[in-house]
Amino acid sequence: MNKYWTRIFIAIAIFLLLLFFSNDFGLIDIQKTAVIAAIGIDSAEQENLLDVTIQIAVPDQGGNGKASNLTIRNAKSVNEAITELNRKTGWYPSLVHCKILLLGKKITENNVFDVLNFFLRSEFIDDSCLIAVCETRAEDALHATSPIGELTALAITKVLSSEAQKTGAVSVMNLRDFAKGYYAANTSSYLPIVSVKQEAQSESGSPNNGSSQSAFLPCSIGLNPNNADTYSLVDSEPVPCGNFWSFWNKLFPLKRNPLPICAPCSQQADAASQKGSQNTPNSDIFEASKTMLFYQGKQAAILETDETLAFNLADTSTDYAYGMVDVIQDGKPVTYCLKMKISKKEQKLKVSGNSAILNFHIRANAQVADSDSAQGVIDIAQTARVPEHVLHAAEEKFKKELDAVMQKCADCNSDIFGIILKLYRFYPSRFNDLQENLLQNVKTSYDIQFDTLR
Amino acid sequence: MDKIKLRQICFIFAVMIPLTKTIVYPATLVYQTRNDLILAALGNFLIEGIVLGLILFLASRTTCTFFDLLQNTFGKIGAKIVYAIFALFFALSAVLPMMEQKNFVIQELYENVPSVISFAPFFGLCFFACTKGFKSIGRVADISMPIFAFSFTAILLLAIPHADFTALLPFGATGAQNIFNGCLHSFNWYTDCLYMLFFLGHFQYEKGAAGKIIGSYTIGALAVLLFLAIFYGIYSDIAVLQHNTIAQIPKYTTANTSLGRIDLLFIFALTLVMIFTYCIPVQMCVHCIRKVFDDCSPILPSAIINLLLLVLTIFFNYSFVEIQSLYTQKLWILFAVFGYGIPLLSLLLRRNKNTPQTEDKHE
Repeated sequence: MNKYWTRIFIAIAIFLLLLFFSNDFGLIDIQKTAVIAAIGIDSAEQENLLDVTIQIAVPDQGGNGKASNLTIRNAKSVNEAITELNRKTGWYPSLVHCKILLLGKKITENNVFDVLNFFLRSEFIDDSCLIAVCETRAEDALHATSPIGELTALAITKVLSSEAQKTGAVSVMNLRDFAKGYYAANTSSYLPIVSVKQEAQSESGSPNNGSSQSAFLPCSIGLNPNNADTYSLVDSEPVPCGNFWSFWNKLFPLKRNPLPICAPCSQQADAASQKGSQNTPNSDIFEASKTMLFYQGKQAAILETDETLAFNLADTSTDYAYGMVDVIQDGKPVTYCLKMKISKKEQKLKVSGNSAILNFHIRANAQVADSDSAQGVIDIAQTARVPEHVLHAAEEKFKKELDAVMQKCADCNSDIFGIILKLYRFYPSRFNDLQENLLQNVKTSYDIQFDTLR
Repeated sequence: MDKIKLRQICFIFAVMIPLTKTIVYPATLVYQTRNDLILAALGNFLIEGIVLGLILFLASRTTCTFFDLLQNTFGKIGAKIVYAIFALFFALSAVLPMMEQKNFVIQELYENVPSVISFAPFFGLCFFACTKGFKSIGRVADISMPIFAFSFTAILLLAIPHADFTALLPFGATGAQNIFNGCLHSFNWYTDCLYMLFFLGHFQYEKGAAGKIIGSYTIGALAVLLFLAIFYGIYSDIAVLQHNTIAQIPKYTTANTSLGRIDLLFIFALTLVMIFTYCIPVQMCVHCIRKVFDDCSPILPSAIINLLLLVLTIFFNYSFVEIQSLYTQKLWILFAVFGYGIPLLSLLLRRNKNTPQTEDKHE
């Protein structure tokens, strides 16, 4: 082949490679695509059916995102709900950007993998997406007013971020790890519980006082009093979006199932969107300091805030946390707030005779961040140094909380420390002998030392 | 004569061949062997490595090409028949990897599902490569080496912090039978030693060449074993769900949360290397066809074979699982015969008969 043809072939090859890597210059029509940012799954009133709430991100020209929430009720499966979204709105659902899955509390009474298997089958959702349980309904959480803009999903993902995990405040979980736990020999895992603090309610004293709460509660499809071009979109029972407008909506109900265009359904929500990321008084606050334990895909127990912190300090990637320690000092109760840096954490399972022993080996450095009693100026200057009795109290508290966690695990058979896996991996010959009632029979020993910065 | 350099052969085994085992192979292996995937893969590497070693032993004893050896033993017609059969084998062995790569590109690099024809440009490139012979394979290997070394290392480094290697314990728990089956059913991914047979006489064997090639092969094997270990460490009991493995393992890095999927840069780079790697069996096929037809022009056979593969890829577009099952569970014996049996038998071929050699053979 002469040089002329070689050059032509090279040019063609480059052109073809360009097509190959560019999807033949195919573009995604954002106007026809529902970019799903979050999915909430609740049990429907009818047994074995689901209410699936989908939060769709709607980018605007200013680069800010708005959210539309759409609830598909009485779906037999998640897939049916997503298909229904496409059928009802004409929008093609794109799950690639879905960053969080929220499960309603009721749905955790049954095996959650009845619904989660859809996401494991789907190639179009990333298994690194976060997953959490809501204290009530996932639908309610997604309808809450985000304190950082329009996308509630974004606010919740911030609460469940890896940074939050590092501070021990939250036991963050993604779909991959949750599925790994379920399909492992111990069929155990855990999820953070997301609760919505209705700040507006506590300030005003009444949830129906004005429209301050309307952004959180599901509201009927209705015209926004401030902006006649926008709709709030939830096809649930009518709930006030302001007294006058709710009355108006009852009298003149709008056509159902409009295109999901916007999220805010209250003046305050609009104001919140205008203020961008400012935390307005009407914003709802998300918290995820509790943890739900799962066994065989069903909820088994709940770890309280302190227990969650202890679990995170002992087992997860938490390496920096704050904790409160109560001591008696000069005959008076004093509460110290300690800043803790975990320098080493290790759990080892040992089998001795017919018993298994789980040893927690934890080393941490602490310093005083605060205390509730006035101290001398020298004490404040030496804040890095923690009195011995406070360190000792911190160690004892840590042991006590870990004991409580272990007890809950034993009671509900949820092996969140992976004791059964450790037995299988490191003592396979003893697995069959010891696996039965292992969580109840395992002995724990603690080698926990808190040290002060010198 | 179509020449390839020793260095380039080393690069093929060290940096190009490992990539063929990073898409569907890990999940397929896990299906059979679960946490013992390393043992099964090690078995495959040992078998292939031994065959490769024996071919290199043959290379140290002769300067003939494989065709010449066949011709010495069976005559020209016999040699052409064997080459025709190998042409069919190479075409067959190219189908599954191409479908693997097609699905990988469509699922990982495209946001929405493109048309089947989106993959067609690959065959244009492959056609071009096929017209260039072994020399082009060597040059691509030279280019691929730094790309692979940098990108593959980056992907492993991004993935390692998320791997729990204790998931690989206890060794041998799935049983010898499952590990053996996993080994057998992976033969279609381990016939690359065959390339060496066709490189015979096309490279200058020098002292220590066998050591260099085996060393390169070992580097490639270790890279794959490490990759498999990390993969299972990250996914453990749900590893069987993870196709397109190379794109799955680095995505959990925390850097991604602020920078986006930076790992995709490396995946793109490796995809490029992968494209050329998947051209090699087709190039081999064209090489065999040309030998059958007395060194005819490569353009027509290249066009025909690429067109045929394009049609097959479109025809089997929705049958990947069936094709994969056929290759792994039924055709393993075919891959064993062609990949290991015939190279071993080639040691028995006559090497000493003088055959017409091309002039530049001993350059």
